[in-house]
Amino acid sequence: MKTFTRTWRHIRRSPIQNLMASFTLSISFLVITLFIFLNTGLTALLNNFETKPEITIFLKDGLDKATLESVQKELGTFPDIKEIRFISKEKALTIYKELNKNNPLLTEMVTSSILPASFEVSAYNPKVLEVIAQSFAAKSTIVDEIIYQKDIIQSLLIWTDIVRKTGVISISLLSFIAFIMVFVIIGLKITNRKDEINISRLLGASAFYVKKPFLLEGIFHGIVGAITGFSFSLGLFLYLKPILNRFFDPVIFVRPDPGYYLFWLSSEILLGLLVGLFASWTVSRRYIKW
Amino acid sequence: MDVVFDSVSKSYGPITALKEISFEIKKGDFVFVVGASGSGKSTLIKLILRQVKLSTGRIIVGGSDYLKLKSFHNIDKLRRKIGVIFQDFQLISDLTIEENIALGLDIVNFDPHLIPSNIDVVLKKVKLSNRRFLFPSQLSGGELQRACLARALSIDPELILADEPTGNLDSVNAWNLIKLLKDINEKQGTTIIMTTHHLDFVKSLEKNVITLSKGS
Repeated sequence: MKTFTRTWRHIRRSPIQNLMASFTLSISFLVITLFIFLNTGLTALLNNFETKPEITIFLKDGLDKATLESVQKELGTFPDIKEIRFISKEKALTIYKELNKNNPLLTEMVTSSILPASFEVSAYNPKVLEVIAQSFAAKSTIVDEIIYQKDIIQSLLIWTDIVRKTGVISISLLSFIAFIMVFVIIGLKITNRKDEINISRLLGASAFYVKKPFLLEGIFHGIVGAITGFSFSLGLFLYLKPILNRFFDPVIFVRPDPGYYLFWLSSEILLGLLVGLFASWTVSRRYIKW
Repeated sequence: MDVVFDSVSKSYGPITALKEISFEIKKGDFVFVVGASGSGKSTLIKLILRQVKLSTGRIIVGGSDYLKLKSFHNIDKLRRKIGVIFQDFQLISDLTIEENIALGLDIVNFDPHLIPSNIDVVLKKVKLSNRRFLFPSQLSGGELQRACLARALSIDPELILADEPTGNLDSVNAWNLIKLLKDINEKQGTTIIMTTHHLDFVKSLEKNVITLSKGS
């Protein structure tokens, strides 16, 4: 009787236990996949900011044309400047209205007078932005506020770091739970099939021969859990794809390339296989000694 | 396969099941082990099968000295040459009779393509062909005993250990089983060790007899 046939028989004979094991592993892999996709999206967002260094200098109200020109001239003296754009109050209003065109409540009360004019400066070298920020921070009569991407990058870095750390902890914890689940279920099955194991051993079966179906069963749960968890996660992300990509535009938060998903599916199947194998190997070593 | 017991004793805690037993069974012998209940017949079978470890003495089966069989690997290899008819059948309850026999054949690495035809032959031999797809719980005591015999015969063993194989059979079926074992012994030269308390079989077959009384 082939090992696969024996394994399938074990699985068929206790459907509830198997369903429990596969379900727990699926939940674990669902959360693991969500963390992976979230981390990828945040990394893309971070890269977008890091590769497009920019600083915005908001100006005080009532500055005359000469002052504005002198600010622009001063900005032009810094090295590695890519572009300097002046955003007038009127242009700021146009941008504001465009951003909030779907929400008339936010636009009807706003006039150009309450929005500040600003200079948007992009550079080839992000280090120069720090120098500009320090230089203009002292000009309190001209400058109202400076928004430097370093702050955004810093907070994004913090968030990405939190997501990564939470992800690593969650993945470790969930992998451990998956391990325990497979360990307990396979342990129960070994106990239930003790007579069969004893009989097989008396007929000359090696310890590995009787362990094989249990090892395969652990692997089966790992792979089924990984595929199911990944599929649900992918489905959820693909469903949310238009919303997420529109929200984070121009960053592509949910990646379109199938290679990326295939890579993670394969990795998770491998992880599931290892967790299932390790758990069933540990438990069969513990219970099948004779 | 020859079997040698040299001053073998077996104790379970304070209870001595076998005490200083010595005998030699040559390849191709048919030997009865007789004795009252509790005399140590089943322990003797378990010792040959290495189901239990001996306390003192020496056992050599098929040239393998049990004291020198350090790894389970060697014990497994030896067990694959032994066909056992257990007193309590030891059939796997959620496998059909056919699957039980197939499992035994799979364990001894029998050619998978030949397994079905081999099962056909042995089931015909024990007259259980029409029960092959039934589970052990659907069979009578006598049928279970014959299914157990079919599993033992299927691997073409060098040694058959039969622990009270006639215990659950009526006299006709019991005689048929004895005749079958005798036939296998004579035609294939298989060594057979059979425990029984039916002395009429022992007397009529005129084979070697080991008599046990309170473990001696």
